[in-house]
Amino acid sequence: METFINPKSLFHLLLLPCLLLYSSIAYNSSPVEAAMHTNNWAVLVCTSRFWFNYRHMANTLSLYRTVKRLGIPDERIILMLADDMACNTRNKYPAQVFNNENHRLNLYGDNVEVDYRGYEVTVENFLRVLTGRHETAVPRSKRLLSDEGSHILLYMTGHGGDEFLKFQDSEELQSHDLADAVKQMKEKHRFKELLIMVDTCQAATLFNQLQSPGVLAIGSSMKGENSYSHHLDSDVGVSVVDRFTYYTLAFFERLNIYDNASLSSLFSSYNPSLLMSTAYYRKDLYKRRLEEVPVTNFFGSVMETIHTDAAYKALSRRNSGRFEDEMSLDQSVHHIKRRMLIKVNDGDEIHDINPEGEEGASKCPWSTFRKKFQKAENVDSLLNYGLVAMIPLLVISTWLVQ
Amino acid sequence: MAETKEKSLSDEKPKPRVRPIVRLGIFLISHSFHVSVVCCTAGVLALFLLPVLAKNTYISENALMPGSASPMLSNQHVSDGNRLVKDLTNPNSKSSETGIESHKIIAQYMLDLGAEVSFHKFHPQMNQFHPLHFFSSPDSGKIQENYSCSSYGINTVGIIRAPHGDGKEAIVLVTPYNALKSGFGEALSLGIAYSVFSLLTQVTWLAKDIIWLVADSQYGEYAAVAAWLREYQTPKFSSLSTPNAEMCPDVNNLFELKGHSISGSKFSNSFRRAGTMASALVLKVRDQNEQFEDTISIYAEASNGQMPNLDLINVVNYLAVHRQGLRVNVEKLWSLLNSSWLKSLGEIFESLAKVAKSLYPKWKFGIPATEYVEGTATLASSLYYQALGVPTGPHGAFRDYQVDAITLEISPKFSLDKVWRNDILLRGGRLIEGVIRSVNNLLEKFHQSFFLYLLTSPSKFVSVGVYMIAFALLIAPLPMVAASLYVDANSSSNCSKGDSSTPSAITDTDEHSIAIRSWRWLNSAKLVFIVHLWGAIVSLLPYFISQIPDCSPTTSFMIWVLLSILSLLTLNSVLASPLACAKATQEKEWALVKSVTISSVFIGLGLMSVINFATAEIGALLMVPMCLLAQPLKLDVRAGTLRSFCRMICNLVLGHIAFPPAAFFLLKGMLDGFGNANVGDFWMWVESLWAWNSATYLFIGMVQLPCWVLCISILFHTC
Repeated sequence: METFINPKSLFHLLLLPCLLLYSSIAYNSSPVEAAMHTNNWAVLVCTSRFWFNYRHMANTLSLYRTVKRLGIPDERIILMLADDMACNTRNKYPAQVFNNENHRLNLYGDNVEVDYRGYEVTVENFLRVLTGRHETAVPRSKRLLSDEGSHILLYMTGHGGDEFLKFQDSEELQSHDLADAVKQMKEKHRFKELLIMVDTCQAATLFNQLQSPGVLAIGSSMKGENSYSHHLDSDVGVSVVDRFTYYTLAFFERLNIYDNASLSSLFSSYNPSLLMSTAYYRKDLYKRRLEEVPVTNFFGSVMETIHTDAAYKALSRRNSGRFEDEMSLDQSVHHIKRRMLIKVNDGDEIHDINPEGEEGASKCPWSTFRKKFQKAENVDSLLNYGLVAMIPLLVISTWLVQ
Repeated sequence: MAETKEKSLSDEKPKPRVRPIVRLGIFLISHSFHVSVVCCTAGVLALFLLPVLAKNTYISENALMPGSASPMLSNQHVSDGNRLVKDLTNPNSKSSETGIESHKIIAQYMLDLGAEVSFHKFHPQMNQFHPLHFFSSPDSGKIQENYSCSSYGINTVGIIRAPHGDGKEAIVLVTPYNALKSGFGEALSLGIAYSVFSLLTQVTWLAKDIIWLVADSQYGEYAAVAAWLREYQTPKFSSLSTPNAEMCPDVNNLFELKGHSISGSKFSNSFRRAGTMASALVLKVRDQNEQFEDTISIYAEASNGQMPNLDLINVVNYLAVHRQGLRVNVEKLWSLLNSSWLKSLGEIFESLAKVAKSLYPKWKFGIPATEYVEGTATLASSLYYQALGVPTGPHGAFRDYQVDAITLEISPKFSLDKVWRNDILLRGGRLIEGVIRSVNNLLEKFHQSFFLYLLTSPSKFVSVGVYMIAFALLIAPLPMVAASLYVDANSSSNCSKGDSSTPSAITDTDEHSIAIRSWRWLNSAKLVFIVHLWGAIVSLLPYFISQIPDCSPTTSFMIWVLLSILSLLTLNSVLASPLACAKATQEKEWALVKSVTISSVFIGLGLMSVINFATAEIGALLMVPMCLLAQPLKLDVRAGTLRSFCRMICNLVLGHIAFPPAAFFLLKGMLDGFGNANVGDFWMWVESLWAWNSATYLFIGMVQLPCWVLCISILFHTC
């Protein structure tokens, strides 16, 4: 995974090329305000118990299946199911859960990892998962181990009302609680971007108190509206899926991991007459334009790829201090090697690297430096140029010492 | 601010400050006549408005989800049921005198399905009067000694265990069956139950065990079910059952035969249990029917007017009407359907509603006159059966253990061809399956919907919050009138010399005499207490009378009446005589007696409304006017005005109607016609009341009868 280096840290690097050692240390330890999107997490919560709430579990499991299909691995999905419908005695198909009356797809097939089940799904545990304040005994698989580069999908379904969501028929999660948890997450750099998707009655009210940047929220219904179930499975005898989730899934069924559908196309796919409610999304806290954000940024594990010129870029950057010692031993060899590497990489980077600049790299390194600084495009080549610039300095210093 | 206020107050005349609520009370008491007239009229009117105010029923419990699953009962199951019907109606099966053959057939059928089967042998309990058993739950302790081997019944019980369930809950399906003289209807009901049972042995969605009880109804349906329930709920740990079984080899035979013939099967000699009962359905098929369409009647009233949760009725009604296309009936007082005054009342309400709607379009409370008449007839029967306190079917036995149960009686339009029989088996079976599946979805007991309600149609009900208004209005004037009578009686005797009752006049009089006079009501209270004591004695008398052997109802009744009068006279002479002479001298004594009587009636009605609302309502309709109007006839005769004459007539009429036996005969005459009225009927009726531990019996004996006696004594007061 590639880490995007912001211009500020680059500036440090370039301003003090002679103190490369210090700057590299500074780079490693400095707080990264806009880290790159490096990983994806999903927290999928079904908050209601009881057989007649079968559809909520089916909703959550369907979404679980979708995000898994789009590339989020199981260890990065926290699945919370408040009841076990699959093994409910009333289930006509033991150990199977369906979200459609055609029964084509068993959602509870192989490889369903439920992290929190039954009475473990409480408001307390939910907030603990979000904020990461677990007791020491809680295993890693039950923790949301996200970082500042994480995109998190938080999906919740259950019975809700004005600014609350019912948990387990006995507790409530209020919009304040959610906003506070998200704020704590932000402060602890637990996410880069967060998409909250809620399918309950009056879901939009749950987002009222949110104020952390980078949060995008979508709910199935506005204040005063109900979210309805989509259809009844007369064989199982219960409603099997909610409308909002059904149409969300319908949208994703057409997609695969390589598709570039944007979030705005997802949001505009909700038809109020089909939903029988108005899907509401809140984007005032979210900076990027929805048209440019692929849905797979949240529902899959697809990230922007940054091409590197080094096979082990992270190694070369982190250990640049160590390189220095090596370089002092065999400078010329290293120099040549570096140059060759740059040229090899240049061949690949057709679209974003100016071939002219590469040509001039050997002739006029300082102008290329400026250009690169303005563009801030290829970090590694810049680093390498920095190293090259170091060589005369080193030569002079060794000469002075002698 | 405060100072100025104080000043302004001090400027005025110093007046005793009375709190608004006290002032309101004084106002109401001083205008008690008008208040009581208004309240009573409003109370009666509210009672007649109840059908208009009835709400549509709705499924209150989310978990039930009736009709969300499509029925799985197929023609295969129906043909299974048909097979059983054929075998049972086959003349060969009736060869045995005890009907054991039929039970064997049923048990064999159950075993073939893989169900657990056991026989439950019981001895019918005679209905006896247990004076101390009112309100107490039936217990296993009362086991009679004198069993004869000839009189026992056999319940056949089949149990399906839920395949994935925990076995902690169960649903009971009851089909009464008399092996000795079973009609086709009973066999058909068994066929329906069997087809459902055979389906339920195959399904995977059972969360509760299913118990199918074939109740031997040769000693009455209720007795068989009650005996089984008693055994189920209160297990006997004594060894009483073993000697009984030994005494009756016939029964032993039956058990052993079965045990041997199907060795290794799920048949067991011991009593089998499943979990806590979530609900119970009693299924019956009526033999004759002359109606045009398939109907299903719901009987819900259990002892003392207890009703099952409304959700259970809703589920049955919803499934029957919307899924199986059956017409649903609840009991109606048919005689009311043709009454013209009710029709005109309905028309008045209808036109009133139209006027209201034209004034303000959002007021929509009117119902068509015909619907009103039907609603009233249903409401009246609902009130009547609740007031009676006698269960309307075997489901009543379940209610004693807080299990929600109803009886469903299917009345098919009669025809003998096979298609029709299959059709009724299919539809009835699917209805039962739907109800069972719905109840199976329940997570807890029925608790979401109403327990206190009156039905005005299968899909309309009046909840406790509405019907209590009528009752509250009816009894509201009682305490006011009592207070005003008390005040009047005191002040008028105080001011016999003076004409004003100002506070200054009272302060003038001797304090000692006031103290004596203000305690004078104790005399009246004593009289009222004595009469109530007498009421208690009268209520106990039937226990002793019933011990007399070979006594016809009429003679029993006569003995009862004689003993009652005798005991009243004795009590009066022993306890009340020294006071009687003092009483006679006092003026307005009757007003005090009336005041205390009204208070006691108020307390009695209030208590009864908690135990059995319907009884209290009907009792209030009879007693409140009588109590309020009661005035010595002599005074009315002396006054000689038209008003006093009217009051006299009213008093005499009410004095006749409110006498419990008279009220009974009047009601009976209205319902069945006066032709076959018999004095003994009242005795029989009373006997049935105590046999069912009905609180109505206590109410009549200890509230209504004393009240009537007191009112009569006021009417004939010599003043």
